[in-house]
Amino acid sequence: MLKKVILKSILGICILGSSLLASGEVNVYSHRHYDTDKQLFKMFEEKTGIKVNVVKAKASALIKRMESEGKNSPADVLITVDAGNLFQAKSKNVLQPIHSEVLNKNIPANLRDKDNQWFGLTKRARVALLSFDEAKKSDIKTYEDLADPKNKGKVVIRSSNNIYNQSLMAAVIEHHGEAYALAWAKGVVANMARKPQGNDRAQVVSVANGIGSIAIANTYYIGKMVDNKKEDQRAAIKKVKVFFPTFKDGGTHINVSGAGVAKFAPNKANAVKFIEFLASADAQELFAKGNYEYPVLAGIKSSDLVTSWGTFKADTISMNALGLNNKAAIKIFDKAGWK
Amino acid sequence: MTKFSKLTISSVLLALLICIPAIIILSYIFTPSSEIWLHLKETVLKDYIFNSLYIMIGVGLMTTAIGFTTAYITTMYKFSFSGFFHYALILPFAIPTYIVAFIYAGMFDMTGTVTTFILNLFGKKISEIEFYNIMSIEGAIIVMSLVLYPYVYLITKTYLRAESASVIDAAKTLGLNSWQIFYRVVLPLSRPAIVAGAILAIMEAVSDFGVVDYYGVSTFVTGIFRTWFGMGSVEDASKLAAMLMTFIFLLIFLERFQRRNTKYKSSGKDFKPISKIKLTGSKNIFAFLTCFMPFFFGFLLPFIQMCFWFSISYEEIIDEDFFILLKQTLFIAVGTAVLITTLALLFVYNARRTKTKTTDNITQVAKLGYSIPGAVIAVGILIAFSFFDNSIIYIFETYFDINPGLIVGGTVAAVVFGYTVRFIAIAINNYESGFSKIPTTYDDAIKTLHVSEKRGFTTVFAPLLKNATFAAFIMVFIEIIKELPLTMILRPFNFDTLAVRSYELTQQGQVVESSVPSMFIVFLGIISVLLLAKNMSKD
Repeated sequence: MLKKVILKSILGICILGSSLLASGEVNVYSHRHYDTDKQLFKMFEEKTGIKVNVVKAKASALIKRMESEGKNSPADVLITVDAGNLFQAKSKNVLQPIHSEVLNKNIPANLRDKDNQWFGLTKRARVALLSFDEAKKSDIKTYEDLADPKNKGKVVIRSSNNIYNQSLMAAVIEHHGEAYALAWAKGVVANMARKPQGNDRAQVVSVANGIGSIAIANTYYIGKMVDNKKEDQRAAIKKVKVFFPTFKDGGTHINVSGAGVAKFAPNKANAVKFIEFLASADAQELFAKGNYEYPVLAGIKSSDLVTSWGTFKADTISMNALGLNNKAAIKIFDKAGWK
Repeated sequence: MTKFSKLTISSVLLALLICIPAIIILSYIFTPSSEIWLHLKETVLKDYIFNSLYIMIGVGLMTTAIGFTTAYITTMYKFSFSGFFHYALILPFAIPTYIVAFIYAGMFDMTGTVTTFILNLFGKKISEIEFYNIMSIEGAIIVMSLVLYPYVYLITKTYLRAESASVIDAAKTLGLNSWQIFYRVVLPLSRPAIVAGAILAIMEAVSDFGVVDYYGVSTFVTGIFRTWFGMGSVEDASKLAAMLMTFIFLLIFLERFQRRNTKYKSSGKDFKPISKIKLTGSKNIFAFLTCFMPFFFGFLLPFIQMCFWFSISYEEIIDEDFFILLKQTLFIAVGTAVLITTLALLFVYNARRTKTKTTDNITQVAKLGYSIPGAVIAVGILIAFSFFDNSIIYIFETYFDINPGLIVGGTVAAVVFGYTVRFIAIAINNYESGFSKIPTTYDDAIKTLHVSEKRGFTTVFAPLLKNATFAAFIMVFIEIIKELPLTMILRPFNFDTLAVRSYELTQQGQVVESSVPSMFIVFLGIISVLLLAKNMSKD
């Protein structure tokens, strides 16, 4: 008996769930977990009266979900945290091209897809955090230097399971080719102060405690550490200096968080409006302030904290390359024994 | 040919349904070797196999050692605080493994608070001492075992309480001393229960992602995620998952094969409570410490840290939305736990009444899902559900010219189904252990007395299985409120759970704040665990 009741109620929930998909909405699949986004969505709802429905999960899972839902997918917009993921989405054919004056004007060409299938919305840089002693020397200037034997025992960096490292490696491949990249990876592994473990912030804490002197981390994590309830995080970030390495023949490695309109979006007009909103001045300001990211819209200032780290010359390789080289990047990690 | 009963048919169908996602994943084993697969074989596959096996053996041994010893001591003896430990030893179960892993790293890794404190105390540097790094495979095994041993503790204890009194009396009459009773009588007797518990712990450990990823250990699961997310190959990722499943299956069947000739079904002539022996002096202290250590390291220490974090951040995190997600979590966890418990009972009862290999094997197949990482199951379900949805849509469009849209995909049903696939093994193992306590003579009696099967079930089995049912429900309930990857991938729009919220906060670097939703998970866990322990002591 009980089973019947349960089955019936489950069926009821499903019917209820599917009937909720009415108009005046935009359905978002997002990989971003930041509370800033919640504020942004609220802002959009207030401005337009369009309700934002969200499912948050890892990008690859969301892309797989869109693929298997096919033309019946309720998704309108896909948001991810890495260009590699956006590239994946495009190559799995779950996005559609969008022609929007606003987006073309607000977003620089190298930060969006050449076929207008996705658009970068915020930038983050992958930088080095140096101990004060290390900062006085000039043993590290470039990403290439991370593999230089003079930096033996100095480098702390997280595992290669992480997409940020995979994108960094993809950029190395783009600049120098796979053969160099493998040699580079082996060099970095030889220079590691400890085997890869923990997240980006754990690397900074490590340097602050004298294990290694060069930590690799994304910029917004630095902001998150300054504004943190954990004592050890606040203390650690005070003991390191932010340094923007560059590629020998380029700039500092950056990546984007971005969005695209789903191929079978049931609310396409709302979806375009939504992405345009995210590229607008109001939204860009909130990205910059709330989450310590670099805005893509020219004229919007980064937060004071972010500005205090100094300026940098961003690498100009296409974001597409990061996605294209991702698979090769993982293989190189495996071959180099970078856990 | 005997006619198949309705019960057998429905359990076959249900087992099929439940293992569809697993079968979809397994089917990839037969896809031809891609260049990615060759690459994996050349570089990292050996590591994956070695590390996963190491974790299986390590967690198996450690959870058995901790779980069985504490279950034995608290069942047989009275000592200081033994009443308290009866409850307290289950508590580690209430804390999500990845949270404990996180907290332990924060205390004991190279830069951990405890490590630096001790280093400062002796004025040494980390490079000057022989340092054991917790961020290693052994560290991961220890952390996981500390949280997972309650599986063995719970199942063994329920078993011991019901089973051992008469046997121990017999052993005493034969002049065995207490050590001999322990390892010649109680240990072999408890084997099915120990194995049931240890296998659950092992399955959970090898499907873990959070701990091994953070501690930098490469296993099948990290490999699955790398291959799938990073190299974009679901096929090769599924091949890895299929290999992992084969390992688990081998384990289950090896154990069954090895015990094939041994009858463990209870003769159960006389149930009587165990008369506990009171311990004094050094024995008392020893018993106390044996029980205190797992409680302290598995629960108290991480819990204290969480309490502190909770106290400085709850005001910020608990808002209106928080209550919504609390309600959503409770609703789905209770509902699904009831469903899973019911289904598990159906399987195990059917295996019991038909007493055939086939029905028993069906039950084993239904357990498959527990060893597969949640994210992989989720992919299997995505594929299965979209096939179902698209067929329905096709039929409707062809014959009625309307598109009903997705029916099950992207709904709560997908999540509920996912939980069922993943956690039914827990309920089944509880029932298997529960049924094995009921003497087979009862079945014969029901038959001889010409009592209808329904009545036999409701008046004889159901009351005897009350404890197993309750334990199954609670264990599944806790697992569901802790579950993360599957929920995230399959959930409908605007559907959050406590675990998801906690994960999001850690992802943002707000570890302290993430303790608030985690604390609610732990709190719900503690309530359930206390109910469970109370239920056990009524026995």
